[in-house]
Amino acid sequence: MAKQNKFTVSHAPFWHDGSSIKCMNINIMIAALPAALFGVMQFGMPALGVLCLAVSSAMAWEALFNLISRRPVAINNYNAAVIGMMVGMMMPATIPWWVLITGTFIAVVVGQQIFGGIGANPFNPAVIGISILMVSWGGHFDFDAVLVNYDFTFTALTPLAALDHQGVAAVNLFSYSDLIMGKQMGAIGSVFGAGLILGGIYLILRGFIRWEIAVSYIAGIVVTAALFNISNPDQYAGAMFHLFTGYTLLGAFFLATESSSSPVNLIPMFIYGAIGGIMTILIRNIGAYPDGTLFAILLINLINPLIDNIRPKALGRGVNNA
Amino acid sequence: MIKRSFIGLTEPKLMCDLIESGPKEPETIPIPPRMILLLNESLDSTRESLVKKGDMVRKGDKLHLYKESSEYVTSPVSGKITTITPVVGHTGLPVVSISLETAPGQGANTQFAEFAEPPDIESAARFLMGIPGNPPLQRLADPGCRVKKIVVSAVDQDMMSTTRQYVMTRSRDSLGQGVDLLKRLTGINDIVIALPESMASLAAFGPMTLLKISQDYTDALPEMIMQKHLGITPLPGRTCEDMGVCFISAEAVFALVDAYAGKEPVFEKIIGITDKNGRLTRVKATIGTPIHRIFTQLGIAADEKDRIIIGGPLRGTSAYTLYHPVQPDMDNIIVQAAADIPPISTDPCINCGNCVRICPAKVPVNLLVRYLEANLYQEAADSFDLFSCIECGLCSFVCRANIPIFQYIRLGKNELMKVEQETETEAENG
Repeated sequence: MAKQNKFTVSHAPFWHDGSSIKCMNINIMIAALPAALFGVMQFGMPALGVLCLAVSSAMAWEALFNLISRRPVAINNYNAAVIGMMVGMMMPATIPWWVLITGTFIAVVVGQQIFGGIGANPFNPAVIGISILMVSWGGHFDFDAVLVNYDFTFTALTPLAALDHQGVAAVNLFSYSDLIMGKQMGAIGSVFGAGLILGGIYLILRGFIRWEIAVSYIAGIVVTAALFNISNPDQYAGAMFHLFTGYTLLGAFFLATESSSSPVNLIPMFIYGAIGGIMTILIRNIGAYPDGTLFAILLINLINPLIDNIRPKALGRGVNNA
Repeated sequence: MIKRSFIGLTEPKLMCDLIESGPKEPETIPIPPRMILLLNESLDSTRESLVKKGDMVRKGDKLHLYKESSEYVTSPVSGKITTITPVVGHTGLPVVSISLETAPGQGANTQFAEFAEPPDIESAARFLMGIPGNPPLQRLADPGCRVKKIVVSAVDQDMMSTTRQYVMTRSRDSLGQGVDLLKRLTGINDIVIALPESMASLAAFGPMTLLKISQDYTDALPEMIMQKHLGITPLPGRTCEDMGVCFISAEAVFALVDAYAGKEPVFEKIIGITDKNGRLTRVKATIGTPIHRIFTQLGIAADEKDRIIIGGPLRGTSAYTLYHPVQPDMDNIIVQAAADIPPISTDPCINCGNCVRICPAKVPVNLLVRYLEANLYQEAADSFDLFSCIECGLCSFVCRANIPIFQYIRLGKNELMKVEQETETEAENG
């Protein structure tokens, strides 16, 4: 018998469609780039510094935790990089470095790694990180105060904070085109609505996020805000104002759609997104916080396992034909 | 390999290959000096085996290991048995590999000729098991058989195979004969023909009922044919035969016709061979021919770390040696270059939902795989529809985390079946 070659033996299937976690994460970062770059243009070098430190510290935290927990270091799938980028994009450009690395620590380690790492996080890690920072050091997220040294050519007020403080009259200080084109104060990656929409559409078309969640989230925002507005136009701002301010679009396309903490079945995805939109507006209009996006997303992350039980019956289940 | 399209919003449509127009006559592989036969039984050292090293066998001789064995393999050539070795088959099943040194001029075993007229299912099961296409004769001969309907399938089992279509195109004139023979053999009169839509226009089918199957990969799966065309929903954990439908490959039907016409078993199998560049060559080889013979004749290279796929890219098995013989149900052999082998990872499920959306059986794969990874097979079967899976392999194909989901599913099913068998044996032993 001649010398035999050793062949690769494994279980079927022998083909794969070529998708990977790494490819998904790279594309999420590419999709976030327009909004992030706009933030850098608007807020200058400090914003670039924040983004870079956020991404690098998030990856460092994951690598460190992997070493401590004796698991293979998996930062090359860019999972931590995406979390870091999202954390950075939700920060004001003037955030102190120590708040930032605390934020990425909370996001990566507390928000994801202690649950078992990628795929095991019940909540969106970046949202966990920012929410805890906001509750702990709220002053650093008071955009009007922290961005006071900037000299903007547009209304130098954070739209949602202005709405909260001045009432619905504040809406007239901003034009929709300014809001969409990023001429507003806010976090580095959340001001440029058009960029976020562009990135979101890219992700939807490429199939990296589930369009059902993004669309129903936006629908939830628009419908709820419009209902409030119709019921009392003197007290509540219109739907478009809510859509293009705060973290709304970042939430709709990048945060609520995070894989592990969102449902996969069709009806649950619509419920999940819609509740997210509704809760965001409820918190903004009735609650104490100017922006409710992050808490609304944590809330829908919480109910995700429950609603994802609404699923179609598998083949042959509940059938009686034999 | 089919990759995900750049626009990934829609799920991938996997289309089965259709037979080319004007197919060439398959290349004949001559009978090699050494043949290998596989017998699905475990070797028991405490009992005396009926076949021994050094025995001479004639063409058509039935080889069983023990007197009470129901499994047998028919020798396709005359020759001398040189080795009998136990090997591990797919999913760890025990298999005995018998190698033969061919020695022509021994005459042939003509026992089957006495039973060929009139055809009956018992003698068919006794003599014709393992003819090309591997018809489930033993199952049909079982007195407890619940089959009411036979589907003669010219739809291939996997995406890249066109062997059944080729055989149907070539021998369609004797299909009527085959259907009559099946009716006489089994006493089942409800026989339908399943074939790709594009072949339905071959005007040779007369009054026979045709199921026109679309080119979509999932539509070609037997369970889906049953559900979409016959209106029978497969129940979890039950085979098509349990549900009263028996699928027989078109090649098996024509092999039966040939066997009864010649009054002897037939051994020539049509196989599609796809090389690393995707070029298909059809060959006609005797069952038991080691596949390296075919590769040598066709000049196909299989290098270190390549993968030899038997069957198709989604549901096939991989061979670890080129001494693997041609089997009755081996429609296709694909050589996959080492560089084209996709990676498998140990990453956990990230809940992207691709598998859930592509699953034709609507199994909650994202939840199922978490339980299977944790070895919680019973929970997986009870709450997450493990047994509804019809084993199409699409979940692993689209898995973004590159988890071998299909393998986990097979493993889970096998483990549960093992437990079930053990409990049954214990109950029998009191």
